[in-house]
Amino acid sequence: MTASVRTLVNQPYKYGFITDIESEAIPRGLSEDVIRLISAKKNEPEFMLEFRLRAYRHWLKMTEPTWQRATYPAIDYQNIVYYSAPKQQEKLGSLDEVDPTLLDTFEKLGIPLSEQKRLTNVAVDAIFDSVSVATTFKEKLAEEGVIFCSISEAVQKYPDLIQKYLGSVVPVGDNFYAALNSAVFSDGSFVYIPKNTRCPMELSTYFRINNGDSGQFERTLIVAEEGSSVSYLEGCTAPMFDTNQLHAAVVELVALDNAEIKYSTVQNWFAGDENGKGGIYNFVTKRGLCQGVNSKISWTQVETGSAITWKYPSCVLVGDNSVGEFYSVALTNNRQQADTGTKMVHVGKNTRSTIVSKGISAGRSENSYRGLVKIGPKADGARNYSQCDSMLIGDTAGANTFPYIQVQNNSAKVEHEASTSKIGEDQLFYFAQRGISAEDAVSMMISGFCRDVFNQLPMEFAVEADRLLSLKLEGSVG
Amino acid sequence: MTIQVSPGQLAKSKATTQREVYLAALLNQRSEFDRQNLSADLGDWLQDLRDRASVRLQDLAIPSPKDEEWRFTDLSSLLQVSFQAATAALSAEALAGFNAVLPETAESCLVFVNGRYMPSLSSTAGLPQSVTVGNVGQLEEPYAARLRHYLAQQPGSEEVFTTLNTASMTDAAVIWVPKNQVVETPIQLLFISAGETATLSHPRCLVVAEPNSQVTFIEDYVTGDRGYFTNAVTEIWIEENAQVNHTRVQRDRSNAFHIGKTAVSQARHARYIGTTISMGGKVSRHNLEIFQLGEQTETTLNSLTMIAGEQLSDTHSTIAYSSPYGTSRQLHKCIVDDQAHAVFNGKVVVPQAAQLTDAGQLNRNLLISPKARVDAKPQLEIVADNVKCTHGATVGQLDADEVFYLQSRGIDADSARKLLIYAFAFEIIEQVPIASLQQALSQSISPPTS
Repeated sequence: MTASVRTLVNQPYKYGFITDIESEAIPRGLSEDVIRLISAKKNEPEFMLEFRLRAYRHWLKMTEPTWQRATYPAIDYQNIVYYSAPKQQEKLGSLDEVDPTLLDTFEKLGIPLSEQKRLTNVAVDAIFDSVSVATTFKEKLAEEGVIFCSISEAVQKYPDLIQKYLGSVVPVGDNFYAALNSAVFSDGSFVYIPKNTRCPMELSTYFRINNGDSGQFERTLIVAEEGSSVSYLEGCTAPMFDTNQLHAAVVELVALDNAEIKYSTVQNWFAGDENGKGGIYNFVTKRGLCQGVNSKISWTQVETGSAITWKYPSCVLVGDNSVGEFYSVALTNNRQQADTGTKMVHVGKNTRSTIVSKGISAGRSENSYRGLVKIGPKADGARNYSQCDSMLIGDTAGANTFPYIQVQNNSAKVEHEASTSKIGEDQLFYFAQRGISAEDAVSMMISGFCRDVFNQLPMEFAVEADRLLSLKLEGSVG
Repeated sequence: MTIQVSPGQLAKSKATTQREVYLAALLNQRSEFDRQNLSADLGDWLQDLRDRASVRLQDLAIPSPKDEEWRFTDLSSLLQVSFQAATAALSAEALAGFNAVLPETAESCLVFVNGRYMPSLSSTAGLPQSVTVGNVGQLEEPYAARLRHYLAQQPGSEEVFTTLNTASMTDAAVIWVPKNQVVETPIQLLFISAGETATLSHPRCLVVAEPNSQVTFIEDYVTGDRGYFTNAVTEIWIEENAQVNHTRVQRDRSNAFHIGKTAVSQARHARYIGTTISMGGKVSRHNLEIFQLGEQTETTLNSLTMIAGEQLSDTHSTIAYSSPYGTSRQLHKCIVDDQAHAVFNGKVVVPQAAQLTDAGQLNRNLLISPKARVDAKPQLEIVADNVKCTHGATVGQLDADEVFYLQSRGIDADSARKLLIYAFAFEIIEQVPIASLQQALSQSISPPTS
């Protein structure tokens, strides 16, 4: 690795600023009282409190998973602030009443919320620490019958839908982090697309952690009724602290007959400095249920941040002919550790799934793909194609693949392919003799390597993701 | 170099006491090492080796599906059977049924019955004098003195069933090829489990190929009618520029339990060609561990698992690189019929020092019946950046188009399917270096009548 490439990778994290805003937080620690307090603060109906307490009791009985390929000091769950919110007046009539510092913050992050500057075809729900700050284009969406609001608001306004679907895909006791999230989740987004409706614009949620002691536990629920379709994108950043922060989110997707959900993530939490100090622990449970026939759920993720990523967006293909997709780019640098992949569980007949995973590891990082393709005994004619490619930059980075293939039906067809490669001197030389600098060459090779995945992103974000990746890698090749 | 052993394999947990008790019971069945022809020195060392393994065993238990390495292979059915050590020697008539000595190896074979060496059935007349092929008692100096540098000295010897084998071994088959010797005649090591009761045996093989030597050997397992338990360990040391061509055939009856390990240490420029055919056993497991210890080593692995009924067959392979310019080619195929269950776990570990490694692995599974099941996990762990590593896995059934094509040429559907299965299996079987064995294996997959 030459010096030029090394400097290329070590680009500073530009979202690391802290917004100085008065916030309201509860004391550290977790107990039933804390959960009651969170629930009371959010003025929740009885069923939500019960949901949380049930999850908490499950959580107490569970142990932290240790099978992932990541090492980190033990997390003290009693030393985390489970609720933190920027102080502001009670109900907000319009966006104009939102604290201008907050608006500035999102402006700085490149997410303009104010009416005149906002992206014309994207509705945004902005979440700051634990609460939703603003949701744009609500009225326009309401005309089509689409509900897009924070989950706290949905609990108040649409308790029936919440009661029916919350926890239906990821049960409260699903895993350690999902149980913790179910007990203490503070906010998140809720999307409901009515029958035969094509959501008129991209929906997007932007998550921002600001408070240095708080954990972030958001919850997203998307329900697509029969014949509907929606494309959703989430983005995330956090300031630089030298302590580690916990982020344990749960995302549930439900697709009914002929519905289609496309869920894209650009994850850029603070990854810690080059010595691995600080950074977000990102322990996320994402699962989509293709409940109806011909339904389709597609996950696209670009994972560049977080000290530790532990994330397996999954599809449970119950409906006959349903389709699951997973496109992922995971980039790790310095001391980052990523253990990510997907699960495709084929239950119904003629279900199809595609997995394309691209891992890039640089520095002293560790990048693992861990995936499961399971074909149940009744999934006649199921089909899976998986491809996971790793690219190593430097000889101190690690790339691992752990694909589990479990087949219990002989009419299924499963294919898995994996390869490992690197950016070689001769490739760089080839570019150099065409007058292209090493940095540009690397950035081109990386975008070529990731093209299959970037092609799946909504156009605005594909450009963004491409840029993000080359920024992250600046100085790492050579 | 270090080899990762999952904590579950070594950890002792209170919940598995039944599995600890059972393991201790298996150990209690062991009989003494046959010290008759051994020097006092070697005898003492072997005794000590066994004792140390027995002590280690006290902290171990039969693995359960909670251990990641045994997740899909449930040994509960093993716990239901109480095995006895084989004692009485069997008559020649009783053994006549196992006519498994190959014509090519009639004068170069060792036969072990229930773990005991049978000189009367063995013959090494057809081999050059300089090659040592026999049991531990037949070892001459200087080999006897050097045994302690090889036997049970490979990494991974701490694994529970290997430890059990070391603690219980009563003898070992030894092939020792001296420097620059090329052995043209293939050697057969035949292990027979027979007798009236469900017996337990711990066959052990040690193969040492000294620098620039070459040898071909066949390790062959057959059993009688009872549900025997075979716990075999084969250790192969290939020194500089030597070559070993190893064929392992496991054709136990379908009521037997078989746990086998093949561990191969390859020095610089060493070549190992391994062909494994697993078709027997109710529950069978093959642990294949390759340690590439020097530069430019070459490893070729071809394996075929062919099971039906309610058989479970598990293959766990590990290729651990440690030096630059190593290559490996692995092809593992499974044909699974009825309600059988095949498991494959193929691990490739490339540490930072192993630059310019070229590793290829392919796992293909053919499911014949709707109830057949496959669990596959090809696994790559890579730290070196200048390497070429690929793996692939496929699961599928016979291609309807291919069957139709053959039908359109006047072959009935049933024969067409058989022909396709035969072709699928033959890719591995044709790698077997001995014609008569190749033919016998081909026949067992019922080749299409012409």
